[in-house]
Amino acid sequence: MNDSKWTWRSVSLISIATTLVLITGFGYAVSDVLFPKGDIPLTSLPQATPAPENGAVKSFKVVALGDSLAKGTGDNTGNGYVKNTVAGLAASGVSAELLGNMGINGLTTAGLQNKLKDAGIQYSLRQANVILLSIGGNDLFRGADLLQNGGAGNTPAGSSVGTTGETGTGTKPGTAEGKHSGTGTTPGASGEKETNDLTPESLLAALPEAAERLGKILNTISEINPAARIYYVGLYNPFGDVQEMLVPGNQAVTAWNNAAMDIINRNSKITLVPTFDLFNNHLDKYLSSDHFHPNSDGYKRIGERIVQAIQ
Amino acid sequence: MINLLPLIRNECLKIIKKKRFYVILLILIVLVPMFTYAQMRIAERSRDKFNSDWRLEIQQQITDNENSLGSDRIPEEWKSYRRIFVQQLQYYLDHNVNPNEPSGVTFTRQFLDNSVSLFIPLLIMAIASDLVSGERTTGTIKMLLTRPVRRWKVLFSKMTALLMFVSLIVLSTFIISYLISGLVFGFKGFNVPVFTGFQISGDTVDMSGVHAVPQWKYLLMQGGLIWYVSVVVALLAFMVSVLVRSTAASIVVMMAALIAGTILTNMASAWTTAKYLFMVNLGLTGYLSGTPAPIEGMSLSFSLIVLAIWAAVSVIISFAVFTKRDILN
Repeated sequence: MNDSKWTWRSVSLISIATTLVLITGFGYAVSDVLFPKGDIPLTSLPQATPAPENGAVKSFKVVALGDSLAKGTGDNTGNGYVKNTVAGLAASGVSAELLGNMGINGLTTAGLQNKLKDAGIQYSLRQANVILLSIGGNDLFRGADLLQNGGAGNTPAGSSVGTTGETGTGTKPGTAEGKHSGTGTTPGASGEKETNDLTPESLLAALPEAAERLGKILNTISEINPAARIYYVGLYNPFGDVQEMLVPGNQAVTAWNNAAMDIINRNSKITLVPTFDLFNNHLDKYLSSDHFHPNSDGYKRIGERIVQAIQ
Repeated sequence: MINLLPLIRNECLKIIKKKRFYVILLILIVLVPMFTYAQMRIAERSRDKFNSDWRLEIQQQITDNENSLGSDRIPEEWKSYRRIFVQQLQYYLDHNVNPNEPSGVTFTRQFLDNSVSLFIPLLIMAIASDLVSGERTTGTIKMLLTRPVRRWKVLFSKMTALLMFVSLIVLSTFIISYLISGLVFGFKGFNVPVFTGFQISGDTVDMSGVHAVPQWKYLLMQGGLIWYVSVVVALLAFMVSVLVRSTAASIVVMMAALIAGTILTNMASAWTTAKYLFMVNLGLTGYLSGTPAPIEGMSLSFSLIVLAIWAAVSVIISFAVFTKRDILN
């Protein structure tokens, strides 16, 4: 009897105390959710770049940035050139790690300029000493999306297998400019209708502005992290297998690569990794079934190229 | 009033003597280590991948989610969920606060966020579903009702005892998950800031109300909301236990309702009137952490009112039925 008296006392006391505490918490919670008072903390991400390692122990810290190529779209192993590069570096005996892959499908130069304002992206870039960048394909071939969609519709079997489950090229958000725009509900629907035909003129029309943005992007990146080496992956012509697109595509891509080379030559920290020759005449071997992105072999080749450029 | 206290005491002792509460503690002690271990493996893996820099990890998470936003294959609701998620992550990152700072306190917070709509209600049911129907199954209800005590007093004492144990269950869930995860992740972390006050409208998050709350206070608020949910579930289970004669049936009824709730919250966004069901409204802590409500038009006050109405109706039904019904066999 004494025993149960004590259990009762402790149980009742604890439960009453707990109930009171919980009701207080409930009151706090309700007032907090219903009438939130904004108070923005003033902390921000650390701005310092980690001290560069002294030469002897060389280890590569890789960050990738850019469009669907950086992301690895089309590679059914999921590696993309980024992981291939890291693996290639590691295989050659140096330590290499991938700090992050900020590749976003359908990113254009304008979109990337916005991204570079993000504190988180800047932070990631500061941690790296090797920055891989691929951008520009979506500026140049923006009109090509439509062509893609049409082609994919005709050959459904080919279009659905190869892409790694994310997107094809057909789903470039028209508002790649950023996450804060909540309007990307019908990706790309607006931008594509205007440029139905892929003519040399339409390809080249976008070039000067986009090239200027590329220059700004490269400058911004080297301002964010002056110590890192930047490797820019040049464009290839994905439409070499379409007869009427072969020449204009080649011209546009070459013009773009020349423009990029022009910018890059002014900064010794930046290297252009050419891919045009890799894919020229080998499209059936290295292009994935969406006829736009490289397949896993293609990415492997790009990765090898970058490894050669780094070492 | 005088003879109510001994009745409540009697009911409390019955709950303890039936060892239901120990079963609940045992379930917690067995299951929480499993969740802790799983969480530990996740933490280990991301430490390997991201060089133990959470900022890189969050940035990668943001990028991955942004990528999936472009996909046509993902339903619109998931996309808006992810858009909101991305904005919140970005906010944490911009203010240099790790949303998943590994510690026993953080684990407790996340564990409770996940368990509010199913796990804790199940624990509550273990006591509540048995309270009246158990007496009928064993036949002891006749003993109870032949005493010179008004029937409503008998039921009221049972309900009070139940509410006392609801508080104890919520408390012990907190304590056990804190102690066990603390062994692995460390016992610190009460002062780590957590952001709350994300106001969600459609796809976008209004950041103007966002403020940092120390984690201990967040846990307190979370506890309050969980307690409210638990009380409502307890009262509902109590009603079912009055209405149904066998304990098994009473448990099944409540369990089915709860599980239906989790299924509905995953797919009911098209059926908007489902928001008046109690089981869809159980995730109150989501309003605190800024998770979008499962169905459009739900808000904290809406959910609180819906739950309160369900609870009030079930109390009324319980008393009406229990005081009127003939006790046969």
